[in-house]
Amino acid sequence: MHWKILVLALSTASFAAAAQHEGHGPRGRAADAGVSAWTAQPMLLPVPGGRGERSAVQVRPVGLPAAEVRIAGPLGGEQAFPVEAGAARLRSPAPESGNYHWVSARFETPAHVAVASTVWYFGNPGPAPVDLLRRPKSELEIVPDPLPREHGSYRESEKWRFVVRANGQPLAGQVVRLETELGTRTNFITDADGVATVLFPRDFAPDADGEGGHGRPKAGFVLSTERQTAERHYVTAFNYTYGPDGERGRSLGWGAAFGLAGMLAAAPLLRRRRHGKEQ
Amino acid sequence: MLKTLFPTLSRLRLAVQLVMLFVTVYGSVLVGSYMAGKISNALPALSCAYDQMNGGYCVLIPTQHILHHRIGEAMVRAQQLTFSMVLPLLFSFATFFAFFFVIGKAFCGWVCPLGTLQETVGRVGRRFGIGLRRLEDGDLVAARRVRPLKWLLLLGLVFVLPLLTGLGVTPHALGNPYCDICPSRVATTLLTGNTEQLALRVGDSWSFALGAFGDALIGFMIVGGLAIRQPFCRICPLLAFNSLFQRLSPLRLAKTRHDNCGQCRICSEACPMDIEEISTQDGRKAYTEDCTLCGRCAEYCPQDGTIRLKWGPWTLFSSRRDYYKDKVRGELPDGTVKPVRFVRRGEAGNA
Repeated sequence: MHWKILVLALSTASFAAAAQHEGHGPRGRAADAGVSAWTAQPMLLPVPGGRGERSAVQVRPVGLPAAEVRIAGPLGGEQAFPVEAGAARLRSPAPESGNYHWVSARFETPAHVAVASTVWYFGNPGPAPVDLLRRPKSELEIVPDPLPREHGSYRESEKWRFVVRANGQPLAGQVVRLETELGTRTNFITDADGVATVLFPRDFAPDADGEGGHGRPKAGFVLSTERQTAERHYVTAFNYTYGPDGERGRSLGWGAAFGLAGMLAAAPLLRRRRHGKEQ
Repeated sequence: MLKTLFPTLSRLRLAVQLVMLFVTVYGSVLVGSYMAGKISNALPALSCAYDQMNGGYCVLIPTQHILHHRIGEAMVRAQQLTFSMVLPLLFSFATFFAFFFVIGKAFCGWVCPLGTLQETVGRVGRRFGIGLRRLEDGDLVAARRVRPLKWLLLLGLVFVLPLLTGLGVTPHALGNPYCDICPSRVATTLLTGNTEQLALRVGDSWSFALGAFGDALIGFMIVGGLAIRQPFCRICPLLAFNSLFQRLSPLRLAKTRHDNCGQCRICSEACPMDIEEISTQDGRKAYTEDCTLCGRCAEYCPQDGTIRLKWGPWTLFSSRRDYYKDKVRGELPDGTVKPVRFVRRGEAGNA
């Protein structure tokens, strides 16, 4: 009898855990923000439902008919995985290590090249992604500088730098278009160093519900740029997710009130003792 | 030159604390935003991952995350405990121990940013003449009675609750409960001008309750720290974590018996953790779980060679009568400093 109760309890716990984890989002936070009807730009979207399997991720190319998806690791490894049934199942390429991975897909014709790119965090200790981001990975590319660290993310009202490079060289005066899942459309121009300083728009609804990691809301964004050379037309996009301002859904007033309550609780300690040991 | 810059062990420790406060709060300013990954994510000091400018993460963060996200989830999926699950936890512990081996519990007394901030608050209290309250019989409560709290916090908030959350038994908001109440999270992010961690998350009762407790804790620490030395260190689970390994580190406190031990008690007066055993015991018993290796007991022991800070066979600092005499001229064992006197120029000249 007791073992049945134990099995029932464990099953309930497992079901509860699975239910909780559904809403948690993958460890590698990325642009799994549903369908891409909000943009015509090429994107790479993680397929939801891979919870618990931290060493692999399924990615779906959207907006370009790519045959394979490539993943590059922070230690220099790079590997291509075929797109089957609309998605590619990716693993960290050998030498398998580290957290930050660059994911890209490509489609080309004699006159046109389209590249979609994003990043994936495998949640392993490893080197900083400085070399990973520095390595040229396509003719025209948009590269974050830097990437958000662990416990960090792109968020509303924040400014983040993105470098636009052509054949590995910074591209000045280039137009970078930002489109968000929540409807914002705006352009930025790269400076002399090829850097576009992107201001993430404040476009979350005040009562946005959480679907992202730790129940926090998030939405997709895509940065895109294009370039015409004598031979070909290049379109490159970088997509990921951003979240609401960190202080949305938080109350500084309540925080300060409890801080003051703690101070008041400690105030009696400041009174001098009448008896007891002489100071 | 070094003797002039750092005439006492306390001065050297203060300099190290200030440098480490900068590294652990603003470290990324020096060598780029990924520095945390370069130094370590398993530091034996409360260096907060919520601070996006810091130079390293404290070991309690990966411990909670691995128990929650890896071990708990994998057990839910009815997998066996494999190397793929256990290794990340062992990797964190091994990295932690690699750091810990070098300076052991001195991470608490010399590196921890929250320890430095509490000492700063305490100095303000002494400077303004706020009476010192002690954790000892006859005053608040004996320090030894408070000691189990840090073990309860370590067991409950760092190990058990994250694992239960990974198993789905407790709500998701309890996935990293220690970080949610850690005063270092609020203090170090405030030092970078970020009020987000002070603000409470509304809409989720568990998150709100944990955050409220954490905010109250730091409020208590700020005011209480004026009267009690190192108030949070007494219950810090990282001190408990570090003390698990304190006998394995070559850096330690060594004490030999002297006839006056247990009578003058100046060393325990000087101890910021109110450790009574430093004056009454000797040998291993004098180096208790609460010791942060700050070295004040050795500085204030008036007997030559009775209390020493040792690394392996080498003595790094040893108590000396002449050092003690110089030391008490500037600062009493309980941290009280001579008041600053404002005098007219003429009076100063006459003096």
